[in-house]
Amino acid sequence: MRITAEAKIATEQRILESAAKLFTTGGWENTTTREIAAAAGIATGTLFNYFQCKEAIAACLISVALTRAQQEFERRARDQESLEEDLFSFIWTGLKRLRGYRKFLSPAAETIFSPLARLSPEHAGDSIRISHLEAVERIISGHGIAAPLSAVTMQLYWTLYLGVFACWAADTSPNQEDTLAILDQSLKLFIASLRREK
Amino acid sequence: MTNETLSDLIAALPQEDEPDSSTDAGLPAEQLKQILADLALRPVPVGSLHRLWTLGELSAQVALAYFALWIRQWFSDADTRKRRVMESNLRIGLKMFRRLGYLRGAITKLGQAAGNLPHIFPAQIADTLDKLHSEAPPMHFSLIREVLCDELGKAPEEMFAKFEKEAFAAASLGQVHRAQLKTGEQVAVKIQYPGIGRAIDADFRNLGALLFPLRLGKDWEYVKAQFAEIHRMLNQEVDYGREAETMRRASGLFQPEDGILVPRVYEDYSTLRVLTTEYIPGLHLPGFLTTNPSQELRNHFGTKMYKAHFRMYYAYMNYADPHPGNYLFLKDGRLGLLDFGCVQYYGPEEREIVRLCERLIEEDETVLPELLKLVSGISQSDPANETYLGLIKQSRDWMMEPIRSEGPFDFGDESHFKRGLEWFAGMVGSRQVRGHPMYVYFNRCVFGLKALLYRMRAQVDVRALHRRESERWRLAARDS
Repeated sequence: MRITAEAKIATEQRILESAAKLFTTGGWENTTTREIAAAAGIATGTLFNYFQCKEAIAACLISVALTRAQQEFERRARDQESLEEDLFSFIWTGLKRLRGYRKFLSPAAETIFSPLARLSPEHAGDSIRISHLEAVERIISGHGIAAPLSAVTMQLYWTLYLGVFACWAADTSPNQEDTLAILDQSLKLFIASLRREK
Repeated sequence: MTNETLSDLIAALPQEDEPDSSTDAGLPAEQLKQILADLALRPVPVGSLHRLWTLGELSAQVALAYFALWIRQWFSDADTRKRRVMESNLRIGLKMFRRLGYLRGAITKLGQAAGNLPHIFPAQIADTLDKLHSEAPPMHFSLIREVLCDELGKAPEEMFAKFEKEAFAAASLGQVHRAQLKTGEQVAVKIQYPGIGRAIDADFRNLGALLFPLRLGKDWEYVKAQFAEIHRMLNQEVDYGREAETMRRASGLFQPEDGILVPRVYEDYSTLRVLTTEYIPGLHLPGFLTTNPSQELRNHFGTKMYKAHFRMYYAYMNYADPHPGNYLFLKDGRLGLLDFGCVQYYGPEEREIVRLCERLIEEDETVLPELLKLVSGISQSDPANETYLGLIKQSRDWMMEPIRSEGPFDFGDESHFKRGLEWFAGMVGSRQVRGHPMYVYFNRCVFGLKALLYRMRAQVDVRALHRRESERWRLAARDS
């Protein structure tokens, strides 16, 4: 029996929704691919046709949320905002979109975003990184700083971003206000470095 | 901005205490420019350890600078010594400015608090630190927007009819934006920097650890109590809910005929970290002075400032932050009071001190032993306390001089201000730390108010004002 593209998309969506629910309620460590498959109403083997591991599922959840955040950021009318403000809005819009996943993002991100995980199946994190950095380059070039930016600059950005991301995922302060402060200060540092380079 | 910063900094010092222009011209200006340029590029660390390290370095520098000064004093004649004290204070103030600006609000507040301990830091440093109230680097609008969304549940463009993206005033803990409500009222929205309240709390413990050597002193318990009071007041300052309540209470103390205005609080637009109040158009002290006001007008506003102080003091609410930015001079002659974060409420013990002091003002010396015991735990008859008793008498005479003088008291009188500085220098030199915690803020209040009136060259009939205000207090006490 041939499976239509629509059915494939629907199954993938079911897997993502079931996984998000299980990660949030049962915890990242305790949730298995078998349980996710059962919750999505498919065989465990079928799940592997879609995702190779639960890290790949989490990476897809993050990727979808960040893509939506990017669209939201691009749609929002901005009026002569500074580079710092634009980057701030871009990053914070993404983190807000991920808010529902905060309970499991911290352990999941440990492997998804680890630079040492590139050869493992979890390297789905790479596509998130590339897509995010491309968006950042567009924002920066929109402020008159010509691309391409050096690898060191982009690495600095990504390192700071991951620091902010890690802080946010585990932030217990009201409304994650500590992350707001760290993001504000990280961007000051990044922009100062960017200006020195250019 | 740099030039304004420098001139404000210098203007905050009494005129005769400015550095000798023949020897030092331009040096602080250059130094400050460099510091500010450097600040703009510096990230602000939030990690507690980083803050501790920077503060540690700062303490060492301050200690070294004072040690060097102490050594030099042995070889100086009186005039040179005075000049060097002032030079040194300014230099240390600049160093602290550099670091405190770097660490932004949290340590800024601690620096200001340190300025309240006269036996540790002289007034000139406190004045320099006070400048940080209006010099902290601003938050950009995207950050402001997120804080408002989190606090008020709506973005500023949804919540307000108009919201100015640029702050019109800065505070060490955040900044103030002008806005208009959908119902038309002009308001000032004070927004706190995220996480600053908890950071202050953590930093205060670090500061206590750094000042550990003081524990070796026999009077450590007094220092500890004063520290606890400062800690309590700082925690109160970051609680905008508490500030709103204080504003409501203060507002109830003044009648329209007093001509003293406390801005109305808009509760639906306020939270623990956002405070929305009525916007009052008016001039701050430097702006007022540039209009070259008549002596009559100076006296008029000086009288209102003293009246506000008395009225709140006798309501057991000490308006403890008489900073130039906290007063507004309105065109119609009214005085606006802003920023009620630093108001010290008096409990039973402090009220008893107020009562005893009142009898002392009436020249009833029989209360002195009881008052001394309550304030500093010392006995009048112990010869070991002679120096301290001398300083207390000096302080009492200076504090009460305007009340005891018949007719308008001239706050522009340099000799009066100098006597205050001499007492202050005596306190610093003798390292006396005994004193009730209420005096940490009471002294700040009186010094601050007299410094403002000195700059205004105001003449105020304090005796008449005191008679009226203390009479109100007695009547209220009798009724209650």
